[in-house]
Amino acid sequence: MSLKERLEKWRRLEEEAREIRRREADWKFIEGLPPRQRAALKYYVETGDIRTSAKLAGLDLEDFRELMRKANVPVVT
Amino acid sequence: MSLSDFAIADTCFLIDWSYWSHRNVLFKLFRAVFVPEVVLREVKSERAVEWIAAMLASGQLALYTETSDVVGLATRIVERSRLVPGLRGVDLPEAICLAVGKLRGYVVLTENRGAIMAVDFLEELSGVVIWRALEVVKEAIRRGSITGDPRQVFKLYEEETKHRFSRAELEAVINELEGKAGEVEEAGGGGEGD
Repeated sequence: MSLKERLEKWRRLEEEAREIRRREADWKFIEGLPPRQRAALKYYVETGDIRTSAKLAGLDLEDFRELMRKANVPVVT
Repeated sequence: MSLSDFAIADTCFLIDWSYWSHRNVLFKLFRAVFVPEVVLREVKSERAVEWIAAMLASGQLALYTETSDVVGLATRIVERSRLVPGLRGVDLPEAICLAVGKLRGYVVLTENRGAIMAVDFLEELSGVVIWRALEVVKEAIRRGSITGDPRQVFKLYEEETKHRFSRAELEAVINELEGKAGEVEEAGGGGEGD
């Protein structure tokens, strides 16, 4: 598989994951969060990058994962 | 004993896996699962820490102290992952696991998309074997370590861990397992049940 084809494969997988995160997220809960956590969760929904999201939220990785559970934002692989 | 009797796990895999009621099935698949020190430092919750401590005490999990060759390769992986446009960056804890996968032949347990993509894109990671929960659960079912309807097993995993598998990949795995189950039934046998 060429580099272009691999990039396209991963682009499709990323898009599917993003759609699942958007669909399942509890947006009412997310909108009620303090600004930093709210922004970090929105960033995660769009990117799936948990480490950067945790840093944005000002939380440890595991605390951010717990916040994701509360917001019903799944890890998609 | 082959080196693939060993696995090495990253933080996100361990945290999510610790939520699953069948979590100890992991140790029916591997002689030992290593946890890098850098990963252990990131685990904080009572649930995950208690499970990891109990498994370390029983010898089923083992602490992996990073050596200079591992750190060197991991650092290069972190850098290289930032050079390929479209590739999600890999951070050091996941890169440590990938480096051990490459240098020691351990199966790398991760849910990190950046780490999974890196194996697909970076030549220096060729041959590294990645297992997500999807592959671990599949193998546990295939070996008979978990019994029951595969669809229900995966559903339970998703419910308990708040994890979601790609629908297409999940369907492919379930179809494969159902095909395998049919073959076993025809042969009059069962799983290894170890």
